[in-house]
Amino acid sequence: MSYEIFKKEQDALEQAKALVDAGEHGDGEAAKHFEALLNAYEKLFKTTRRLVRVSDRNEAELNKATKALDEKNLMLEGLSGKLGKYLSPQIYEAIFAGVSDADVRTERKKLTVFFSDIKNFTATTEEMEPEDMTFILNDYLTKMTEIALEHGGTIDKYIGDAIMVFFGDPDTKGVKEDAAAAVRMAIAMQRRMVDLRAKWSDMGFKLPFHIRCGINTGYCNVGNFGSEQRIDYTIIGGQVNLAARLESICEPDGVTLSHETYTHVRDAIDATPLDPIQVKGIRDPVTPYSVEGIFDDWNETERYIRRDDVPGLRIWVDLLRLSDDQRRDAVHELEEATKLSKNVLIKSLCSSSKDLAVCSFYLY
Amino acid sequence: MEKITIHATERSPAIDFDFASNTYLIKGESYPEDVTEFFGPIMEKLDGHLRGQSGENISFVFELIYFNSSTAKVLMGLFDMLEEVADEGNEVAVTWCYEEDDDNMQELGEEFGEDLVQATFILKELPLE
Repeated sequence: MSYEIFKKEQDALEQAKALVDAGEHGDGEAAKHFEALLNAYEKLFKTTRRLVRVSDRNEAELNKATKALDEKNLMLEGLSGKLGKYLSPQIYEAIFAGVSDADVRTERKKLTVFFSDIKNFTATTEEMEPEDMTFILNDYLTKMTEIALEHGGTIDKYIGDAIMVFFGDPDTKGVKEDAAAAVRMAIAMQRRMVDLRAKWSDMGFKLPFHIRCGINTGYCNVGNFGSEQRIDYTIIGGQVNLAARLESICEPDGVTLSHETYTHVRDAIDATPLDPIQVKGIRDPVTPYSVEGIFDDWNETERYIRRDDVPGLRIWVDLLRLSDDQRRDAVHELEEATKLSKNVLIKSLCSSSKDLAVCSFYLY
Repeated sequence: MEKITIHATERSPAIDFDFASNTYLIKGESYPEDVTEFFGPIMEKLDGHLRGQSGENISFVFELIYFNSSTAKVLMGLFDMLEEVADEGNEVAVTWCYEEDDDNMQELGEEFGEDLVQATFILKELPLE
């Protein structure tokens, strides 16, 4: 027995028809009304069944279309994910969120620009098999990219073994914070390189890969450059060239800053000025700064003694940079400063207090 | 009576009713926001005209791609009207067109045509555009 959703209505109809056929549906006017009502009910019943079928068919069609749309969306999602790898994640997200239009448009902004490359990469890899070179380069770029993204950098491009990153667009935390993020990123990259060299060495690659990093902060033109057919989201300007130049004069394993970047990060970064250099397009010589370390980094807690957050108190000691003799001198200076401070404090307390016990406590 | 010509929109079908030649066409997709507002005046005019016809050749063509339940109710009423007009001594030909891969529209046509006894029902497959 098959299930019929309209069975109840069908049965009622059949019974009514049977009554009419048997002439048992009343007499006169009542019988006529009954027959008219039965005809109308039969028609309505037929209409209802058809409407339900139309509705079911439409629903099925809609589901089919939705499924096809879902599949299409999934395909487009996969495709956009693949295409997205050709873009910096911030740009990809900005475009897909509808915040940014992919049209030729640029603006002037103060950015911090970072360049890095592997010293003697071509010469070093000349003897390598192409597959090994590809593996090393991709491994290097992957790790460096992870660090850049962790620090909020926008990856502009890879140029062979060189990496160009900038901070300040499309997202910015302010010029000072952007500059600090760039420098912290560069230091993190250099630290990761130590691990990478050890890993590659363990794998049998005796590669003395060392990177150089240059960072500059200044006004650049940022945005989409190119044509309507093909655009690149990038930055241009003399300040970009300066960052590249700073990278080229940087010592291997080092990070070189421009004066402007240094002024933004000097509260957190220890850096030494280098000999001024002449840069094409910039009239006056530029003083580069070589990064020595980060004051507030846990890796450096045993290196720096630094207090300058209280007016009238300024202590700054870089224990690694001092020789043993210099350290002895530093200890002597600090002891002298301690004695002097103590004397001034005792005099001050004794002049304002009648309590001799307090004075004698400080005397010993 | 003047012709009724309404261009199709995204949600409503094209209407081409030529009362003088008694040829009528409904074509396209039909899921108007307000079915009564769209079909009401048209059906009223059609009903007024067809009820007065006698011994005429009447041709009604449906070329629908999609319609919603409310439109289905309108169509069923229209089929009833055409059957009654045929019953009153007119030659009524109802042509239900469907695109060649549209099984759904074909089945709907077959069902709608079931009740036509006096009127001639023609199911016509159209090649894909």
